[in-house]
Amino acid sequence: MTLLQRGRGGWVTRGARLARIGAMVVLVGALAAGCSSKSKPVQGPTASQMGENGIGGNTSSLKDLQNGTLGANSGGPLSDIHFGYNTYNIEPQDGAVLKANASWLQAHPQTRVQVEGHCDERGSEDYNLALGAKRAQSAKDYLVTLGVPESRISTISYGKELPLCTEHDEDCWAQNRRDHFVVQQ
Amino acid sequence: MSKAGTIIYRTISRKISAKRLLSLAAIVAAVQMALCVGASAQIKMNIVGPGSQLSSIAVSGLKSLSGDDNHDVSGNFVAILDRDLELSGYFRLISPHAYIEDPQQSGYELGQFNFADWHSINADFLVKGAVTVSGQNVQLTALLYDVAQQRRMMGKNFNGSMADVPRMARRFADALLLATTGQQGPFDTMLAFVSTGGGRFKEIYTQTIDGQNLYRLTDNPTINLFPSLDKNVNSLLYLSYKSGQPELYLADLKRKLETRIETRRGVIIGGALSPDGQRIVAAVENGGATNLYLLDKDGNELRELTHTSGINVSPAFSWDGSMIAFTSDRSGTPQIYVMPLSGGTARRVTYKGDYNTTPAFSPKGDRIAYQSRSGGRFEIFVIPVGGGEPAQVTDGIGSNESPSWSPDGRYLAFSSTRGGNSRIYLVMVQSGKIISALTEGKGNDTSPAWSWWLGD
Repeated sequence: MTLLQRGRGGWVTRGARLARIGAMVVLVGALAAGCSSKSKPVQGPTASQMGENGIGGNTSSLKDLQNGTLGANSGGPLSDIHFGYNTYNIEPQDGAVLKANASWLQAHPQTRVQVEGHCDERGSEDYNLALGAKRAQSAKDYLVTLGVPESRISTISYGKELPLCTEHDEDCWAQNRRDHFVVQQ
Repeated sequence: MSKAGTIIYRTISRKISAKRLLSLAAIVAAVQMALCVGASAQIKMNIVGPGSQLSSIAVSGLKSLSGDDNHDVSGNFVAILDRDLELSGYFRLISPHAYIEDPQQSGYELGQFNFADWHSINADFLVKGAVTVSGQNVQLTALLYDVAQQRRMMGKNFNGSMADVPRMARRFADALLLATTGQQGPFDTMLAFVSTGGGRFKEIYTQTIDGQNLYRLTDNPTINLFPSLDKNVNSLLYLSYKSGQPELYLADLKRKLETRIETRRGVIIGGALSPDGQRIVAAVENGGATNLYLLDKDGNELRELTHTSGINVSPAFSWDGSMIAFTSDRSGTPQIYVMPLSGGTARRVTYKGDYNTTPAFSPKGDRIAYQSRSGGRFEIFVIPVGGGEPAQVTDGIGSNESPSWSPDGRYLAFSSTRGGNSRIYLVMVQSGKIISALTEGKGNDTSPAWSWWLGD
């Protein structure tokens, strides 16, 4: 057990990573936090996978939020698809989009793709996280049927947390109900 | 912080036996001493309650017996107590400008002051007290009087440090509600919630119900959601994207350590902490399906709770830890279900509305509050756990979401966009009166979790 001094109190995630404490610390006394010296490997995408541009220039929506560019990112070789309210089935017009995405992925076999599922604001946060997962899975399944190896496709749901557009109208909601495809090395 | 709105109630008088009052007062075990009412067999008192008119109360300053010459302790105690009494929805505070006597000149014990000074300004109730400060040590006595009956109703002695004075006020407010309404108040508690705090990122915060001690638990520029507290307020469970993907973290609030919860079942996208802090119900997504699993606090799986190809989310424990409520789309639309944790089948609770989610058990476990979609917005409803007619609690203004019960079961904290940005508001369940915003609303405040009483 190692003790780490972290200024005004620090949270140490056992086996994972640090989260800093905010400035308004009022809890009694504790300025030091213990931390196991053993680290479990972090599963899933690493920070570099999440954060860096893929070769095509697509970035994760969370990175876009951090960069203040969410909604401005229109580049990249892979196009978004969109969904109806509270549904996760692939719309007929998006079949062509997914075919184009699949062709690009097959032409670039060294790449991987993360499918992000997103929702509009008209639902609870937790239900939308599950709905976004359904939407990401729908695109993954579709890409697999088009011949993209399943091992190259990961999914993540951001629910309604990362809207492209923040107006409260159907135009905006329709833009936000999307799958976004992030190319990873 | 906004002031409490005006709420109209009707005063009723009721006869209560002194024996019952004593037994009720005994419930407040947190405080060192309880001075109770005299021994008359039957006493008449003002009982305040929902459906009754606001009672007027005067909170006089604390007499400095020594050491509080600048009345800082008194001012701190009175300010917190005033705010809590406003938030209770039962009282109208009489402005100190109307007070006739000077608390530093008069006494605070029965017989040492003139009830006529308080009767003449129409006070139904009066709080008086005294304080002795020596260094950092504070000894504080506060007393509640029934002005019409010229009778002491309740008294508490507190001993602690300067930093404890706000909690003394909250405990006195809780005891004051017990004495006047028959039910302990919900103010010696904590509120956890999510806020963007003026930035882009949702972080977890805690504060007291009366808006003090704002504390930022997370500081990572990602997404943090769904704070959930155990009954002893030792641990807080939350979902965070800080590793790049959603994961559950169990934070030990006292030791300031946190553990990441992992399961081989898939990606965790939500969860709730059991009241005893030992177990977690996690919503785990795999292949597009999201199901609920009972885990121990180290992430070891104890039981698969749901098994559908659709969506099962929003787990919420009953306060006795025996049941969970959750949202499932197994009927085709999101609806509320309950299930015993010991095993057994899920039972559907809601049938009205085509989008019902975010359930929360009442402290007694007899009712569930939830949000129901109507015309693109949400309203808060309460329904008996056994099923039945849902009662709408919120008033159709803004979108009203994520209800969380106070431990006394009289109030719900919920998020609402009624004022523009989402803020946490307080509503009285029985009357549907929106009392006040509880958070500053610098950004968007969502997902309130009202703790149990903090205890000693």
